[in-house]
Amino acid sequence: MIKKFIHQFASPKTYLYQVDRFYSYIFLFSIITYIISITWGLLYTPEDFVQGNSYRIIYLHVPASFLSQSLYIAMAISSVTYLIWRVKLAAYLVIAIAPIGAMTTFIALISGSIWGIPTWGTWWQWDARITSTLILFIMYLGLISLHNSFSNHEKADKLLSWLVIVGAINIPIIKKSVDWWSTLHQSASITLTDKPSIDPVMLYPLIGSITGFFGLVICLVLLSSKYQIFIREKNKSWVKDYV
Amino acid sequence: MFNFAFNSLYEALYMNGHGLYVWSVVILVFLSLLGFFIGYTIKIKKIKDKLNEPN
Repeated sequence: MIKKFIHQFASPKTYLYQVDRFYSYIFLFSIITYIISITWGLLYTPEDFVQGNSYRIIYLHVPASFLSQSLYIAMAISSVTYLIWRVKLAAYLVIAIAPIGAMTTFIALISGSIWGIPTWGTWWQWDARITSTLILFIMYLGLISLHNSFSNHEKADKLLSWLVIVGAINIPIIKKSVDWWSTLHQSASITLTDKPSIDPVMLYPLIGSITGFFGLVICLVLLSSKYQIFIREKNKSWVKDYV
Repeated sequence: MFNFAFNSLYEALYMNGHGLYVWSVVILVFLSLLGFFIGYTIKIKKIKDKLNEPN
């Protein structure tokens, strides 16, 4: 029954029509939310007592870090879906998400390094959080290169899905690295279980910037997956009718 | 909550010496997003044109 449900609602054709239906709404909501939140955070929140104005990088760094891990989890879920139920769309999503994941991880690493200069006095430290995030970035690049090196798409999808699942072990390591090891990187300011350690004046624009960035990244994933569908289904008659 | 945190535009750009760090990250993020959006839009347009070509 689950298989029937998934296959019915996850056909590339249905997906493509749904993307077209919702894309502009998601994009509009996200871009407005992101611009308002970033402006609010950068120009309208008070200066931090300890870090001064450099803390404002939080409004760009945290959404990117959050998404870099979330996108990998989405890839892992898609990989499991593909391997168990053989849903083609799930395999397309895995390779569609990878470049976006690499981009968000790159932003997280570079913005963290830039933030590190005024805050820690160094742009790089081989501590657990930063190193595990660098590993995540290398994993994204490796997965993209590996997929591109195969001429047989189906073989590439299978191998990629297994590798993504194995690599998912890095996500809890990144998340818990600040608790398990002594690191320069601070602990999470926002968690699902505890009260946020950040003042509400600074917290609200942060939630807004995470929401806006999340939406924009979703839009990128929708575009990327649309491109993947065109590439992989180009010989199907429905694709020709669609374009 | 919505008071402008700086006295002038120059102060907002300079941010007591931290402006270079903050604004360079802003540029990095916006250029990355813009680059990806433009890149995928062009890629989709190209493949659509290719699919529309008569055989």
